[in-house]
Amino acid sequence: MIHIALQKQLIATNGVMLLDIDIEIKEGDFVTLYGDSGAGKTSILRMIAGLMTADKGYVKVNDRIWLDTKNKIYVKPQQRRIGYVFQEYALFPNMTVKENLLFALEKGQDKQIVNELIELVELGELKNRKPDKLSGGQKQRVALARALVRKPEILMLDEPLSALDHSMRSRLQDYILKMHKQFNLTTILISHEIGEVIKMCDNIFVIENGRIIKQGNPIDVFTSKQVSGKFQFSGEIVEVKREGIIYVVTVLIGANFVKIVADKSDVKTMTVGDKIIVASKAFNPLLQKIN
Amino acid sequence: MMDWQPLLLTFKLALITTFLLLIISIPLSYWLAYTKSRLKPILETLVSMPLVLPPTVLGFYLLVTLSPSSSLGGWLNDHLGLQFIFSFQGLVLASVIYSLPFMVHPIQAGFSNLNITIMEASYVLGKSKIVTLFKILIPNIKPSLLTGIVLAFAHTIGEFGVVLMIGGNIPGETKVASIAIYDEVEALNYDTANMYSLILFAITFSILLVVYIVNGGYLKRFWK
Amino acid sequence: MNTLEGKIASIKTNGSLSLVTINVNDILFQAMIIETPDTVSYLKKTNPVKVVFKETEVIISKGDGCELSIPNKVTGNISTIEKGVLLSKIIISTAVGDISAIITSDAMNEMILQIEEEVTILIKTTEIMLSQ
Repeated sequence: MIHIALQKQLIATNGVMLLDIDIEIKEGDFVTLYGDSGAGKTSILRMIAGLMTADKGYVKVNDRIWLDTKNKIYVKPQQRRIGYVFQEYALFPNMTVKENLLFALEKGQDKQIVNELIELVELGELKNRKPDKLSGGQKQRVALARALVRKPEILMLDEPLSALDHSMRSRLQDYILKMHKQFNLTTILISHEIGEVIKMCDNIFVIENGRIIKQGNPIDVFTSKQVSGKFQFSGEIVEVKREGIIYVVTVLIGANFVKIVADKSDVKTMTVGDKIIVASKAFNPLLQKIN
Repeated sequence: MMDWQPLLLTFKLALITTFLLLIISIPLSYWLAYTKSRLKPILETLVSMPLVLPPTVLGFYLLVTLSPSSSLGGWLNDHLGLQFIFSFQGLVLASVIYSLPFMVHPIQAGFSNLNITIMEASYVLGKSKIVTLFKILIPNIKPSLLTGIVLAFAHTIGEFGVVLMIGGNIPGETKVASIAIYDEVEALNYDTANMYSLILFAITFSILLVVYIVNGGYLKRFWK
Repeated sequence: MNTLEGKIASIKTNGSLSLVTINVNDILFQAMIIETPDTVSYLKKTNPVKVVFKETEVIISKGDGCELSIPNKVTGNISTIEKGVLLSKIIISTAVGDISAIITSDAMNEMILQIEEEVTILIKTTEIMLSQ
C-alpha cells in the first residue's frame, strides 16, 4: 500500500493555491492523476519523487517512509526507488540510447537488464544513436526503458504522450501497459485524455485546484450519471453549428469525427473543447460487415 | 635582440592561471547557476568587478594587502614562506582574480542554459550530485568550458596593468611579453617590440579562431 | 433532450434485457434497456430515475394513438411552435411537464397543427433511456 498525504502552497497563475491531498494506492495498481493544467498534478509527482519539498507531508511506500515532515524524515530522491518519465523526455544528450540506460544501473547490478529493456521497447537498432537523432516516440521509449532499469517501486509518468501524434500515442500506451504488467509496477500517470485514462488505468483521481474532487474507477467517474444507453463514447466537442431550429455538434471520439443533432437547450452549456459523453440506445445503430 | 624568455613566461603564466581557474570556476559557476541564496548577487558582482575596474586598481589593492609590511602579507611570508609581491606566484594570484569573470561567465551560462530536468532525471536514477555534475552536466556544457578556457587563457596573455603593479619587471620571474613590449618601446627598440607584438597577435588570433571554428560547428560541417 | 423525473414502478427482465415501467406523475412510461438489476444498481423498484429521450424521436398524433404499437402515450396541448425550413420544433405541455418534439415542417403543415390544440405524443420503448 502506498500512502501519500501532501500539503503545499503553490503559486498558481491566479494567485496562491493550497495543494492538499491524501490518497492511498494499492500495490500493483495503475492510477491516473487527471485534471486541468495548473491543478497541481506535476507538483504531486515531484513531491513523491522528492524533487520538490512539501510544506507538510507523509509518504509511505510499502512499509518504508519516504517523507514525514512531522518527524523530520526526508529521504533523498536518490534513495527513493522511483522511475520517473518526464514530459520532455530528459534524455542525456551526451550519451547514446544504450549509455542512457547503462548510466541508470546501480552499482553491481547485472547489465543484462539493459539489453532486455532495449529489446522490450524495440530499440535494438537504434541503441548506438544519440537522443538528438531520435523521433519523439523513440525518445519516450528510451525514457521509459531508462526509468525501469533500477526496477522501481513506483513508476511515475508526467504526461508522457502529450507531444506525440495519435498512432504513436496508442503504441506507447501499449508499451507502458506491457511494462506495467511485466515488472509488477505501481504506476502513476498524469493525463488529461479521457480515452487514455479509460484504456490504461484501474483508478483515477480527479484533481481540481489542488484537491481531489473525485476518485474511483475511470468509467464510473467519467460517466457520473449512469445512462442506460449502451452505445456510449466520450469525446471532445470540435464544432457547434446551428442549422435551422436544431444544432449539429461535431465530436471527436478517438480519431473519428461524429455528428450529433442537438436541441438549443442541450448546447446552451456546451462550448468547443468541452468533454462530453455521446450516448444512444443500443437499439438504433446498424451493423454492416466491411468487405 | 629578441629574448624568448618573456614569451615563454607569458605562456607558463597563462597555462597555470587557466588550470587554476578551471578548478575554481566549475564549483563556483555551478553554485552561481543553481543557488537560491541571497548572497548570489554579491558574489556575482565581485566576480564581475575585474571587467569594469582598471587593472591598476586591482593591482594596487593586491600590492597593499600582500606586501610583506602588511599584516596578511607578513603572515603569509612568515608562516608559509609565500612571497606574492614581485614574484611569479604573485602574478598567478593576480591573473586568477583578474581573469575570473572570463572563465566563470561562460561556464555559469552553460549550466543555466542546461535543461534542469536532465539533472533531476539523474537524481531519480539514484545518482549523487557529484556524479551528475561530472557525468551529465559537464559533458553537456563542453562548448562553454572551451570558451571559458580560451577566453581566460587569451586574456591572461594580454594583461598588463595588474602585472606591472604587482609583478614589476624582473626578467625570468615577472617580465611577461606585454611588459617586454612596453620595455622595448621605451628603449626605442621598435623592431623587437614589433616581433613580440606580432607573435602575441598571431597566437591569440589562432586560438580564438580555433574556438569559433569548433564551437560554431564549422569543423563538423566540413569533415562529415 | 427531454428529461422527466419518475420512480421505477416495475421491472421485467429476460436475459440481458429489461423492460422497465416508470411512474411519472401517475403516467406510466416503459423503456427497453440492455441492463438488468444485476448489472446496474439503480434498477430497483421505487428508485428515482430520469426518463430521457431525444426530441427527434417524439411522434405526434391528432388521435389517441391506440391503434399503434407504441405504449408510451401522453396527451397535452401545444404551447409553442417554432417553424424552420425542414424541421420544426413543437413544445407540448402535458401532465408530466413540457415535452419538445422535432418533426418535419412538411408533416406539421399537413397536420395543420396549431397552438392550444390537443395532441397525443408517442415515444417507442426502445428510444427511452434511463438515467440516474
